[in-house]
Amino acid sequence: MSTERRPDQAALDRVIFEAREQPTPELDWDRIEARLLREPGPEAGSNAARFVARLRVPAIALVAAAAVALVFTKQHPPAATHKAVARLASGPLKGDQLALGTRITAGAQNLVVDHPGRARWTLEPHSTAFVSSSGVFLTVRLESGALSATVVPSTKPETFAVESGGTRVAVHGTAFRVERTSDRVLVQVSEGTVAVEPAQTHSNPAFLLRRDSRGTFALDGRNGTVEGNASVVVGAANPQSHREIAARTSAQPAAAHKAQAPAQVASVAPAPAEPDPANAAIADAEPLPLQPSISDIESGVSSAVDLLTGCFRNKTSSPGNRVSASTGMALSVSGEGSVQSVTFSPPLEPAVEDCAVIGLRQLMFAKSAEGVTFTRMLELTR
Amino acid sequence: MVAAPYIGRVSLATIPAIDSRQARPVAAKLCAVTELMELIERCKAGDGMAFREVFRNHRADVARLVVRMTSRPSDLEDTVQEVFLQVYRSIKDFRGQSRFSTWLYRVTVNVVLMQRRAARSRPVLQEATDESFGSDSRDLPDDQVARSRRVAAFYRLLDRLSDKKRAVFVLHELEGMSPSEVAKVVNAPVLTVRTRLFYARRELLEMLREEPALAFVARELLSETSAEPLTESEPT
Repeated sequence: MSTERRPDQAALDRVIFEAREQPTPELDWDRIEARLLREPGPEAGSNAARFVARLRVPAIALVAAAAVALVFTKQHPPAATHKAVARLASGPLKGDQLALGTRITAGAQNLVVDHPGRARWTLEPHSTAFVSSSGVFLTVRLESGALSATVVPSTKPETFAVESGGTRVAVHGTAFRVERTSDRVLVQVSEGTVAVEPAQTHSNPAFLLRRDSRGTFALDGRNGTVEGNASVVVGAANPQSHREIAARTSAQPAAAHKAQAPAQVASVAPAPAEPDPANAAIADAEPLPLQPSISDIESGVSSAVDLLTGCFRNKTSSPGNRVSASTGMALSVSGEGSVQSVTFSPPLEPAVEDCAVIGLRQLMFAKSAEGVTFTRMLELTR
Repeated sequence: MVAAPYIGRVSLATIPAIDSRQARPVAAKLCAVTELMELIERCKAGDGMAFREVFRNHRADVARLVVRMTSRPSDLEDTVQEVFLQVYRSIKDFRGQSRFSTWLYRVTVNVVLMQRRAARSRPVLQEATDESFGSDSRDLPDDQVARSRRVAAFYRLLDRLSDKKRAVFVLHELEGMSPSEVAKVVNAPVLTVRTRLFYARRELLEMLREEPALAFVARELLSETSAEPLTESEPT
């Protein structure tokens, strides 16, 4: 009889065994002993009160040291043990003096880390991060919580990046915020542009988030949802198809083919809402929301996904075979609620896209002042 | 007359007649226990030299437990020092009703937990524990580097467990203590300890699967373990 262990349990047992086998780090025992027993001697035992008083000296010194909040930095890891903990009071931490990998955990208040002339990032309460690479290209790894960063524009691209999970948020001179939750990475951009992509491969799909846009991404950085002024970036190996979807008045499906993909970046910026004199009075009485509500968006997205799934099922040309495709669909919705453009990255079969364009032309979202642009990663199968 | 104290598994009052074959080890153990009790009594009387002996005899055990409980080597010296300060202050309360090592572990766990609670309300810098940082790892053999990375990743997972679960998990899985011994250290019923152990292990397994940053560790381990037998044979 045998009891089968699952591989992950075996893996856990293995790493527990390895942790058990790790040698205890060697400490400077003499120093600790000296701090515990200042000037130890046989006569010390004869006076307990004096001994306790001696013990209190280093303890008080420790408290005092914490109060003045000295910041220890470690330029080179010493061979044996080292004392690298520092309790921080206030004021920015000098980021350029931090040793790589020095983990920083904010307390009950924001903690500011400054890289003069390059970037300043603020770790929100109880968040943890560390600088994982420095030099020209600075990378901060966010382990938990959230951080905001302001980056000085540079002639070099992506001089500052935040990594969290498998997601990399690279910056082109900007102000932005990254939050790590248990299973997502949330990115909000208030200035400039950031690129979001898988940390390890720098592969597509990547997202470009511009000012006042935001997105939530899987921890691996491979898919996500963006709102506002954002788009999917496409490399040479991963072309895209961008289609303008004209107003209802325009029209032939074939016309949609005229708008072909730009070389690199699909602009899916929302068009400004057209002022409509007919609606002006209504707008005065009941102002439109800046963007459709989440539920309105999700309802429309659900219809769009159903539509595309149907097109894919009906229009893919491979009878008898199982076909699947993965694509990023970026929809730009006008303030009127109509779909203005759609971008597929990578592109789908033209017949599928034509079918989708016709259907999307009929789709209406809730009206809003600015409209909205968002992206969904889709897995299609027939 | 003072009752003979219970000192671990050997009680001064209940030592049976000594078999000649066992005489030497039992005598040696008895001698060690007696010496320890003498040291503790001298400590209670304020003898600094005796306290230094206790410190020297047990510092490695305390340091090892602190490392495993905190996964923060940078805190190590301060924490070990704080533990022994606490031992000095409290040793008069040690009545010999449990093994000294159990009492010492309880003090250590309490100090670590207190420090962790205090640390949550203030910013802390922690040196890199990941072997991928620094140049030292480049000089090590590949398998040793890989092992260090796995252990560092494991401690990061441990750090995400609640204090109570982490304490019982470390004491049982890493220190090799039985659930009943752990129960004495954490001052909880044995059943509670077993429950915490169960959930700690389950959470660790979930974290091992779901944390993308550790995916490479899990894959590496899975690929290695898949090459090894994954069954534990039981007598038929």
